[in-house]
Amino acid sequence: MKRTAALAAAAAALYIVIPLRTSDYWLSVLNLAGIAAIGAAGLNLLSGYCGQLSLGHAAFLGTGAYVCAALGAPLWVAVPAAALLGAALGVLVTPFAVRLRTHTLAIATLALVFIGQHVFREWTSVTGGNAGRSDLPVVDLPGAADQGWFWLVWPLVAASVALVAAIARSRLGRDMAAVRADERAAAVVGVNVAATKAAAFALSGALAAAAGALYGAYKGYVGPEDWGLLVSIQYLAMVLIGGIGTVKAPVVGALFVTALPRLVEEVVSPGTAPQVTQIFFGLAIVAVASLRRRGVDVTARPRPRSTASCADQPQL
Amino acid sequence: MRRPTAVVIALLLAAAVTACGRDEPSAAPGFDGRTIKVGVLTPLTGPVAAVGKPLTAGGQLYFDWLNAERGGVAGRYKVELVTEDTAYRADTALSKYQKLKDGVVLFEQALGTAIVKNLVPSLDRDGIVASPASLAADWVRQRHLLAVGAPYQVQFANALDYYVNDAGGRDRRVCFLGVANPYGDAGLAGLEAAARALGVPVAATARYNQGDTAFTAPVNQLSDARCDAVFMATFSGDTSRFVGEAESRQFTPRYVVQATGWDPSLATGPLAAVMARSLWVMGEGTEWGDRRVKGQADMLDRLARFAPGQAPDYYFVFGYYQAWAVAQVLERAAERNDFTRPGIVRAMESVGTLRFDGLSGDYAYGPPAARVPPRASTLFSVDAAKPLGLAALEVNLQTDAARRYVFP
Repeated sequence: MKRTAALAAAAAALYIVIPLRTSDYWLSVLNLAGIAAIGAAGLNLLSGYCGQLSLGHAAFLGTGAYVCAALGAPLWVAVPAAALLGAALGVLVTPFAVRLRTHTLAIATLALVFIGQHVFREWTSVTGGNAGRSDLPVVDLPGAADQGWFWLVWPLVAASVALVAAIARSRLGRDMAAVRADERAAAVVGVNVAATKAAAFALSGALAAAAGALYGAYKGYVGPEDWGLLVSIQYLAMVLIGGIGTVKAPVVGALFVTALPRLVEEVVSPGTAPQVTQIFFGLAIVAVASLRRRGVDVTARPRPRSTASCADQPQL
Repeated sequence: MRRPTAVVIALLLAAAVTACGRDEPSAAPGFDGRTIKVGVLTPLTGPVAAVGKPLTAGGQLYFDWLNAERGGVAGRYKVELVTEDTAYRADTALSKYQKLKDGVVLFEQALGTAIVKNLVPSLDRDGIVASPASLAADWVRQRHLLAVGAPYQVQFANALDYYVNDAGGRDRRVCFLGVANPYGDAGLAGLEAAARALGVPVAATARYNQGDTAFTAPVNQLSDARCDAVFMATFSGDTSRFVGEAESRQFTPRYVVQATGWDPSLATGPLAAVMARSLWVMGEGTEWGDRRVKGQADMLDRLARFAPGQAPDYYFVFGYYQAWAVAQVLERAAERNDFTRPGIVRAMESVGTLRFDGLSGDYAYGPPAARVPPRASTLFSVDAAKPLGLAALEVNLQTDAARRYVFP
């Protein structure tokens, strides 16, 4: 308990102090990482806890951003609305998810990205077409713009991570773990596999769409080029690098993928060619992939194999 | 007597202080009284680095010359570029913008239509001016954007007018191929507007997604429509792929591409013969090395002195005259003794017409509603013997269709 209280106090102190002591540049890096962590929390729930490999995350993120623009409502209305629509879209995917597994499901969800791209480009009355939309809600936040966004985004990150952790500990979480371990065995012991997958896709879609809405509002612009396949792959990289199926995966992974290149640029290779930064970052990814099966989360304590449950093994 | 003397001294002191204020602009973000720092947001890594690097080198050459030969802006303020790599990613560009914004007077370059669209809300919020390295017409009415060059719409309007009225295309079937993004939309808008003005229908329109590697569907679509000319808002790799597939299917129209769709390697590659026979490129200015155009001659002289190793490059020229535009606005700001952000906006709105001595068309500046972009384009044919693989067919072509194009 003492350790938890000390960690909470340190986090609260950092939450207040960081925006006051950090440049706009680093705040923008942290804000983008925080928004990405919310989206990655959704994918971590879906792929890490429920074992459903999805390459369609970009479509959910983009949907959230466009909902935020199209509603014309304040952010506190737009984000929940985006989350609701994201959840509904997640449920729509479920019939495919029930019939498909692992790599075939990944290919099926890949189609979501292309469908999303088509809709974002062609439904011009809502999305603005190729030109996109720049009429997203302006948020009145305390302090300078990036300070306010930091104070807004990071509690939402904590809430998302806490939500996923709570779900993992709940009966739904145990059902997800069973589905991840073996769908047929789960069905035999009474788990409703279809409902469990539907819940996982809905929750994942909701978190992704909420992150997309925040991303659009933060930038003040949303266009179709923001939601390509590369974005889906980046989110998958976040949860894999962060330690898929662990509570901290989205935060650690999002910081690694979005903030580490900037850190390498400034600290490890300042003033050198940008290619040097890319080489350092690439080597870091290779090192994580090779040396730590549970990702870059250095605080994770490895368990002896004999006592680890099936649910603890990443399964993709 | 004492009191009047004191008053006179006080007045003289006040006048002196005022005079000092008039001679020396006060410090502002990016200006310390001696050096003007200007930001560059450009891809130095990734596939678009092939555009970002020469563009930035062109800007560097202009300011190297300005600093060395003229002593800088207004003869006394040296200009320094502060460059950050965006990797052509919107989120990276936004963070790099935040990194530079408080240390620069303005952004001398922001490369890429999608990148600039992401930056505009921040530029408007912070009141900072940026010059987009992109020819989208959307920039013309943006208060904080210092656009240069004839927009894509104008390029295709000139191209179609030339094809119809000067190259015997009046009764030919005109078609369009464009990437599904704002660049493709801009090309189509220009072509359709010109087609309406000229009374020529656009027989077929094909679109493709960036990253597509197979062009069988658009080739078949345009071939089935029996297109005599295909106006292409493509990137250079896509130009090559489309022309290659069309050739293999014996579909041999006249191709007209924007400069973005051209790469000098196309003039010498396996499709060189088709390119030389069938492809025109719409761009600006003149051929690399054409000393009859003053702007080109001056640039080559400065290049020989400050960057002798620079290879001929279309984007280098763009970067050079983009920096020239920025320098003209900074000169105006120096006249007004004001390098603050609102001062730069006022300088941009009162600078008058930006001139480029033939490297690009003149651009009339003022409040956003009063801005008039150039209507001139240059039509090139492919000639492998030329430095960029391009020989000028019509320099600074200004057709009726382009003159009549109305910017939203």
